[in-house]
Amino acid sequence: MPDTHFYRYDEFDRRLVAERVTQFRDQVRRRLAGELTEEQFKPLRLTNGLYLQLHAYMLRIAIPYGTLSSRQLRQLAKVARTYDKGYGHFTTRQNLQLHWIKLEDAPDAIAMLAEVDMHSIQTSGNLVRNVTADHYAGAAVDEIEDPRIWCEIVRQWSTLHPEFSFLPRKFKIAITGSPNDRAAVRVHDVGLRLWRNEKGEVGFEVIVGGGLGRTPMIGKTLREFLPKDELLAYLEATLRVYNRYGRRDNLFKARIKILVHEIGVEKMREEVESEYEAMKDSALKLAPETIEAIAEQFAPPRLPHSPALVPAVEALKLEDRDFALWLKSNTAAHRLAGYRIVTVSLKPAGAPPGDASAAQMEGVADIADAYSQGEIRVSHEQNLVLPHVANEDLPAVYRALGRLGFAEANIGKITDIIACPGLDYCALANARSIPVAQRISRHFADLVRQHDIGDLKIKISGCINACGHHHVGHIGILGVDKNGVELYQITLGGDVDFGKTALGTLLGPAVPADQIVEAVDSLVTTYLQQRRDGERFVDTFRRVGLKPFKESVYGERD
Amino acid sequence: MAKNLTGDLHVISANRLADGAVVFLDDAGGWTIELARAALARTSRDSEFLLARVQSQGFGVVEPFVVAVREGNDGSLEPISLREKIRASGITFQVIAAEAVRYA
Repeated sequence: MPDTHFYRYDEFDRRLVAERVTQFRDQVRRRLAGELTEEQFKPLRLTNGLYLQLHAYMLRIAIPYGTLSSRQLRQLAKVARTYDKGYGHFTTRQNLQLHWIKLEDAPDAIAMLAEVDMHSIQTSGNLVRNVTADHYAGAAVDEIEDPRIWCEIVRQWSTLHPEFSFLPRKFKIAITGSPNDRAAVRVHDVGLRLWRNEKGEVGFEVIVGGGLGRTPMIGKTLREFLPKDELLAYLEATLRVYNRYGRRDNLFKARIKILVHEIGVEKMREEVESEYEAMKDSALKLAPETIEAIAEQFAPPRLPHSPALVPAVEALKLEDRDFALWLKSNTAAHRLAGYRIVTVSLKPAGAPPGDASAAQMEGVADIADAYSQGEIRVSHEQNLVLPHVANEDLPAVYRALGRLGFAEANIGKITDIIACPGLDYCALANARSIPVAQRISRHFADLVRQHDIGDLKIKISGCINACGHHHVGHIGILGVDKNGVELYQITLGGDVDFGKTALGTLLGPAVPADQIVEAVDSLVTTYLQQRRDGERFVDTFRRVGLKPFKESVYGERD
Repeated sequence: MAKNLTGDLHVISANRLADGAVVFLDDAGGWTIELARAALARTSRDSEFLLARVQSQGFGVVEPFVVAVREGNDGSLEPISLREKIRASGITFQVIAAEAVRYA
């Protein structure tokens, strides 16, 4: 098995995780013995990522910055098979959720995770959650610097941080190292974007107060350029200001985005800079050797030479239409011309988005070992990624993924749908998400049609908490409950592309569940009628506005 | 507290502590996974009494609450809200066949 090319736990990390397993085992024992009430136990299980949902407990497992080794993915499969129903759900936070965990098994499940340096710590609760990153990190052709180095530094700083363990509300950080933002940094509590200034120095744009949920907001720039070694001090200052002034009187107004909105970004900046001034030369200032020690662990793998152009691949493109489509939509440019980044579509036609069985996870792990340096990424769009695939191996990878049902050539297309678990699982949901995604996926299953439609992102949430990111979908779908009936609101024009980040505009009245596919079909037909050369759905929407789309869905009713 | 209280007929539901399974209070004061065997409260007063009793006794379940149901002509019970229908009957779509896909 290849060595990992990302952070490896040291003794401190292992001890921390092992101690947590021991603590949680005892907490569960006491709860089952009746020594702890649910009120006492609930915060303890939540801080270990164990939720109680509609039918069962759900364990949310952290996948730091969405990076996994093949060994870790196999272990996730083992946990799913041993303690769950043999499958898992990859989420928009780059985590994995197991939806059928028994409380009595949960300590053994997290002990099994600890064997491969994984855990579920801080995947719930009002603290800094799993830091997310560009899923092409370390491989992307447009990358300035690997953002995972900084994710790991933030992870170490924020894990069990005593001052920030009881924030007003949860806190989500995303980091991108590329101008093409694949980490949605403007819709996080804090988004960090690495960029190079006129002097050639690389630093962070610090963006604060973005978020989706009940009150969606686009983040605002707090600091245009922050030297990298000042990152932790600046984050500490930002969280301290939030911890001090963030609202605790109203759950729905407790996120940092509300604070920034209420006091204004200028005042927020003034407060943060003032706090920062007092600590910028403290121990939080990162020493070069500290940064270097972490960066070394993310050193790119030594990839053998691979030709940029492979005659066998070119020939197969001509012979096999589906392979050609797959190559076009499911692979992306690698920093080395002889390699491609392959996205493993967890969205076969009609399947629950983001779900993978234990056998499928093991299959992807095998493919990663054979063809991608044993490394896998989880994307916030609920797919997996093989970051380093040699061009000459692409046909073999395509065939192997096809045997798993994961070679659907639909990445970025209309069936590459993001959907939260919705009312089928989630105690907070008002309406179902997954069955809606499945029906849309089946309706648009034809690959040639999907490629003709082009890039179109549908995102579905089963409630206003927006785990399905519906606000930033080109077509966003939000399930609502009106007098016990599921209805779906549609928004158009949402986007997370950097420089174009936008929240969707409400199309009109919510449509019944049995009309949602028809409504999406009408929107697509309108787009195809209106589009100009090279325009994506969202581009046409921006040019022509809401009216023709609205008429296509509601015309006969008006 | 009771939630979704519409209609006159109610049962008491909760999640079982050990595994989170959906359970219903039965006539014998135990918990069953079958809605058909749930104790039926025909008045709000009855349901409030049952809820208060299980809350005070803590029967190895989590957060018991009142669920509004309707009775079919054949005497079968069905929750009124979609959420409770899904809780009682399970998820509404086919999960992937966990072991059906084998990597060869």
